[in-house]
Amino acid sequence: MFELILSGFAAVFADPMSIAMVFLGVMVGIIFGALPGLTVVAGLSMFLPVTYVMASNVGLSMLTAIYIGGTSGGLISAILLNIPGTPASIATTFEGAPMAKKGLAGKALGLGVFASLIGTLVGVIVMTLLSPTLAILTLKFGPWEYFSVTFFALTLISALTGKSIVKGLLSALFGMMFATIGLSPIDSAKRYTFGSLQLTSGFHLLVVLVGLYAISEVFSTASAKQQPVKVLSYKMKGLGFTLHDLKGNWGNLLRSSLVGLGIGILPGIGGSTSNIIAYSVAKNSSKHPEKFGTGIPDGIIASESSNNASIGGAMIPLLTLGIPGDGATAILLGGFMLHGMVPGPLLFQQNGDLVYNIFGSMMLGTIFMAVLMWAGMRMFVQILKVPTHILVPLIVVLCSIGAYALGNRVFDMWGLLLFGVIGLMMSRFKIPVPPFILGFILEGALETNLRRGLEYSNGNFWEVFTRPISGLFLLLTVLSFATTLIKQYRASKRAKGA
Amino acid sequence: MNSDSKRELGVGIFFLVLSVAYMIGTTTISTFTPFGNRGLDSRSVPLLIGFLASVLASIQIITIVVKEQRRRMSASEQPAVEPEEVCDPDEIACVEPPKNTVLQRIDKVVPMKLILSMLFLMIYVAVYQKVGFILSSIFFLMAESFLLVKNEERRKWRIFIILFSIGASIVIYFVFTKYLSLFLPRGILG
Repeated sequence: MFELILSGFAAVFADPMSIAMVFLGVMVGIIFGALPGLTVVAGLSMFLPVTYVMASNVGLSMLTAIYIGGTSGGLISAILLNIPGTPASIATTFEGAPMAKKGLAGKALGLGVFASLIGTLVGVIVMTLLSPTLAILTLKFGPWEYFSVTFFALTLISALTGKSIVKGLLSALFGMMFATIGLSPIDSAKRYTFGSLQLTSGFHLLVVLVGLYAISEVFSTASAKQQPVKVLSYKMKGLGFTLHDLKGNWGNLLRSSLVGLGIGILPGIGGSTSNIIAYSVAKNSSKHPEKFGTGIPDGIIASESSNNASIGGAMIPLLTLGIPGDGATAILLGGFMLHGMVPGPLLFQQNGDLVYNIFGSMMLGTIFMAVLMWAGMRMFVQILKVPTHILVPLIVVLCSIGAYALGNRVFDMWGLLLFGVIGLMMSRFKIPVPPFILGFILEGALETNLRRGLEYSNGNFWEVFTRPISGLFLLLTVLSFATTLIKQYRASKRAKGA
Repeated sequence: MNSDSKRELGVGIFFLVLSVAYMIGTTTISTFTPFGNRGLDSRSVPLLIGFLASVLASIQIITIVVKEQRRRMSASEQPAVEPEEVCDPDEIACVEPPKNTVLQRIDKVVPMKLILSMLFLMIYVAVYQKVGFILSSIFFLMAESFLLVKNEERRKWRIFIILFSIGASIVIYFVFTKYLSLFLPRGILG
């Protein structure tokens, strides 16, 4: 395995095109991450069509570089504007903005970049070492095992996102409904096509993702009242911090990275959740919890290391099972498919070189991210002043190219509009979007494996419970449901008492 | 019923109607079982999805209705509170707040910028193939940028937006068609 890892790394470091695209990707990612209102998913959606004609390894390396840059860039606006650039940097504002107001913005930025670097490295290293082993394990999966794993992923995300488990499940089923449009798996029967030839092939995954994330974001920007942006001043010498500033925080750094990694592995939730959880864990285990919120480095380190560690974590289920760990990895799944690859256990067997190439490019992207943010902070701060009324329409035009180029048909652009409106309505009615995405992605696998499993067992559904791995995942499903229901019951009781 | 409850009830009703319509739609799906029906056919999973969605939507509706009834019961047990005096009693006459125009009232529910943004995108998609990428993109970039820019800054950005819309559309077209080998419609310029 180590030989493969080394050869993958060598291939990236020896290819000037890959290096250039990773560099460009990280830069684009940081800009999208830093600009409030634009997320890493919008950046990925915008640059997806650019990768269509690139070699698979170069295109996918660029997309993962945007992911790394985008997750890290959010700290700039979180500290200097007191507005998180991405949801992954919400907790960074809790300490970053007070530090900036005290005149310590440079130190906050420097520590944030360092924590991002360590977090990403931890995530990428664990991903590189764990994914191939997990892929070998998942190769032994039969239809019942696949069915129970996808069922677990779907129910877990429905339970974890949003405040209501019922709405989470409804969202997942809503996504599954859209996935059933087109030809059915196994016997290719037409379903919900209403006589339309265009609907026979169903909605492309990228149309759904870009519509739900990028176009709905554009609509949200159009409906939001624009606030004047005031960038706080900063001074940053060298790295912005000294080793003394990290005293007592090494444990926090490692713990938060592991929290981010663990949460990243869970399907559908990534850095946007992990940063808040890592911040609370850091506060609860601190010797001076009363200082949290006043502008101390501990909170920035916890938030930034955890959200970046989630990158590697979210890639693990994507590469080994084809289940995206968050919104950005869902777009990456679409990117893999565009380049003719299906993430999952067979990916390591059929495209092993490419996977190790991606591992190498992610490591390179991590280094570029830290260097670019330390050296180019002044430039990124200037970009914060770029008005959204110029950027937002440009994103729509580029996303439209991406949709149109999928099959040279305007139908996919109508799809973008449809899913943009659906995404907007879902956010207005507080229906979580991630379960919808996962429902759309996993319906095919769920249905195929359920039907195959029943065929193999002569219609005996009981077998799903008696096989050890599938039984274990179904048990985990029940446990996650029970835990969420108990939590929601307690929360509603507390709300009544208050 | 407060606005939160109305919204939650709306979600439940929407999904109930959708799931019932979805289940009815399964009757049009053809099934094919040449080796005997040992498992499920192409209609089974959509039926299951529709059934589960209808059950969950019903739970959502019942939960909201029960909550609302409890809230009403607890409200009726409490003594009625005199409505607060809105006007200052020393004033001779109360001044009614100005009534909003129809447009302002619509804007409160769905912002006008959002409606126009959707409309521009619909026009963009509708004319994309026929008019071509460059002209339709110039229109869209210009219209959307003017819509999103703050009213007081519109004058300042006017020239930049026009030049940027034209320049960006042409550059994007040539980069994607010449260097990235993608096909983009030429339309009436073709």
